[in-house]
Amino acid sequence: MSESQAAQETALETSWEPKIVAFLCNWCSYAGADLAGVSRIQYPHNIRIIRVPCSGRINPVFLLRALQDGADGVLVSGCHPGDCHYISGNLVARRKFALFKELLQYAGIEPERVQFTWVSASEGGRFAAIVEKVVEEVRKIGPNRKLVKVP
Amino acid sequence: MTANHEIEARLRETAGELLRQKRVDLFLGYEKASLPFRTTPLFLTSPDEVERLVWNPFCTVNLAVYLPRLFAAPADPRKAKDLSPPTVGLVLKGCDTRSVVALIQERQVPREKLVLVGVACPGMVDRQKAERALGEHEALGAEEDAQGNVRAMIDDEMEVALPREEIVSDACLECRFPTPLIHDVLLGGPVEPKDRDVARRLTAEFESRALSARWVHLQETLSKCIRCNACRQSCPMCYCKECLLDQTRPRWVGASTDISDVTIYHLVRAFHMAGRCTECGACARACPMGIDTRLLVRKLSQDVEDLYQYRPGEAIDTTPPLSAFAMEDPQDFLTEP
Repeated sequence: MSESQAAQETALETSWEPKIVAFLCNWCSYAGADLAGVSRIQYPHNIRIIRVPCSGRINPVFLLRALQDGADGVLVSGCHPGDCHYISGNLVARRKFALFKELLQYAGIEPERVQFTWVSASEGGRFAAIVEKVVEEVRKIGPNRKLVKVP
Repeated sequence: MTANHEIEARLRETAGELLRQKRVDLFLGYEKASLPFRTTPLFLTSPDEVERLVWNPFCTVNLAVYLPRLFAAPADPRKAKDLSPPTVGLVLKGCDTRSVVALIQERQVPREKLVLVGVACPGMVDRQKAERALGEHEALGAEEDAQGNVRAMIDDEMEVALPREEIVSDACLECRFPTPLIHDVLLGGPVEPKDRDVARRLTAEFESRALSARWVHLQETLSKCIRCNACRQSCPMCYCKECLLDQTRPRWVGASTDISDVTIYHLVRAFHMAGRCTECGACARACPMGIDTRLLVRKLSQDVEDLYQYRPGEAIDTTPPLSAFAMEDPQDFLTEP
């Protein structure tokens, strides 16, 4: 690594802001995020939202790819159990998420990197609070170096 | 005459009978291989050749891996009605039977087209362990003695005795179901598992290490991976016609040996085995680099058992845990504000 590159790295280091990719379901969490916006509730701007039809649409590969492509953390949010637009999408997803989170931790990836939650369309405040918490936790553990693909 | 010789004789008898009476079109078993510590899968269609069948401590291959493609639907659905799937008889150890049960549950194989010849298995020999035990000597031949240990013939025409428990495959040490749970014919008496908690202890040991130590260990192990896909190909549960790992539009998992791609490959492969792995150890045996391919899957199997009280391949009439859900499933992993 050349000196300028190293310097650049340290510069990046000091002004580092966590990048969080959030997968939100179309029917509850995305609307919840929207409500947070229209209600002018402040929350950190570190998140990039990807809208998915349902939390059941989320393949754990999406989360791994986000981390591989340089995300520092991933947030997944769907409807509360019982509220799924597709009746049971989130319930099927819940089993996958529970196992996947355990697996990542077992493999040695910080549990804070990948987080799951439920946010309904009326919970703008809850959405903001969750984002705040996730950003804070990821900031504490620092940049993601584990799964990132270095070209 | 050892117990295995008796089983072998009865196996040939059974296979011959099944083929003669046309109860099966095809019989899958093992035959003597040209190299020691191995057997070759044998596809029998005629009762005259049953003498080729063998049963010994080297019958490691999980024959269930051949089943999905025998019953696969044709690419052209219009041809489906002209097709008559074969009836297949096959030799199965405890773990292999679990794979067949899981395949039946996943509608890959019809139960009525199978004749399951179960053999209670005391554990199969790991070829690599046996070769390592011989050191610089090369084995020219190997067979089982009356005590169930293995005698290897080495280059200077000497015989070396290899105790069974030292060369038995790692997956067999973890085995909880040595006797087939489901079978049409059972050869040999039931075998009791020696220790049901080996896998749990291995997982607990790995989990007791620090987070970063676990990551370092995983990276060291996986850095050996050459992405040959042997673990996937050898797995009886990996039957998808188009594997997610092969898809190119989009390419979800990079095909390189970059450590990031390799780690994701192994995480994804393990995750696809959640609630499906029947613990036969085919992936570990197939790995040319000696990677502990079961490290991650072992953990998932344990979680599935603890969270959803499910063990794959135990009974046909159960629902695999990731095809089901319950309102009261645990969700303490969620982030709350």
